[in-house]
Amino acid sequence: MRSQSVYKVPQGKLLKISIEYNKKNNTIKNIWITGDFFAYPEESIELMEKKLRNTVLEQKQLLEKIRSIITEYHIQFVGVNAEGLTKGILMCTL
Amino acid sequence: MNEQWRLLQTGFNTAFSNMAIDKAILVANSEGKVPPTVRFYGWCPPAISIGYFQSLTDEVNILACKKFGIDYVRRITGGGAVFHERELTYSIVIPESHPEIPKNIMKSYGRICGAVMKGLRYLGIESEYVPINDIVASGRKISGNAQTRKIATVLQHGTVLMDVDVDKMFSLLKVPNEKIKDKLIADVKQRVTSMKHLLGKKINFEEVASVMKKGFEEEFQVELIEEQLSKEELALAKKFEKECFSTKEWNYRR
Repeated sequence: MRSQSVYKVPQGKLLKISIEYNKKNNTIKNIWITGDFFAYPEESIELMEKKLRNTVLEQKQLLEKIRSIITEYHIQFVGVNAEGLTKGILMCTL
Repeated sequence: MNEQWRLLQTGFNTAFSNMAIDKAILVANSEGKVPPTVRFYGWCPPAISIGYFQSLTDEVNILACKKFGIDYVRRITGGGAVFHERELTYSIVIPESHPEIPKNIMKSYGRICGAVMKGLRYLGIESEYVPINDIVASGRKISGNAQTRKIATVLQHGTVLMDVDVDKMFSLLKVPNEKIKDKLIADVKQRVTSMKHLLGKKINFEEVASVMKKGFEEEFQVELIEEQLSKEELALAKKFEKECFSTKEWNYRR
């Protein structure tokens, strides 16, 4: 399945996410995180996209995974956060 | 005596060349080869720049751009799509360790925007910084800004609108929802302003550059000395233009 979402992060930026996912086991196959937000360093977004592959599309697991990637790679987001990313991703599956 | 920084007035260039020059200055400064640098420039032909994280085909109406001779380029900074036509664009490149630059990213946006605001004040325009990355005057946006930090160096560039044509802008940009396009255009017209609108008369690029020079000097307590790009920066800029900013691989990568 391929699906997209557009989500305005509260007090933040417009997040446009598209995912390819495996409906059988509810996991991410591929993800593209786009939008008018900021991330430092910028290249960390590609890393985030790679690391999110095979993650289960479930609120708690997704949020934890995103938080752990942010911590591990010292990513600083501006205009979006882990909660916003989680919400945008899950909106793709609605 | 005040510290001396470099001022570059590189005139009007293509989108690819403009983005390549900013990156070349960033690299040269990070290697300690050039002092902190403020640059003023314009865009010829007019162009759309998109933020690093945006999808080109989601944001830009490529066919319309081709039809009207508008260039489009992906920036190395995040943020949104901008139509560059009647504006002054500035960039500042400075080591992250410079005492005048707050370590905190949001604070440093505010500080650099302070220079633009001081410049606007010389035109009689009062403005304020509105996080994350806007400057507003009379409640409307007059400047958008975007910052990156790489190789221990800060690059912030931003626009100061001299005039704005929202209808033209939206003929070149895509909107998320076509059904509400008219409402969106009406909203943006309410939210955006320009020097022409605020002053009730046209203003030229040189006048804006001269007040912005004063604004940066005052904000950072420095003297801006007008110089040229170094030979090495020119060569680097040519290389970045050719290998990155003018390529499909770069512009369509997301």
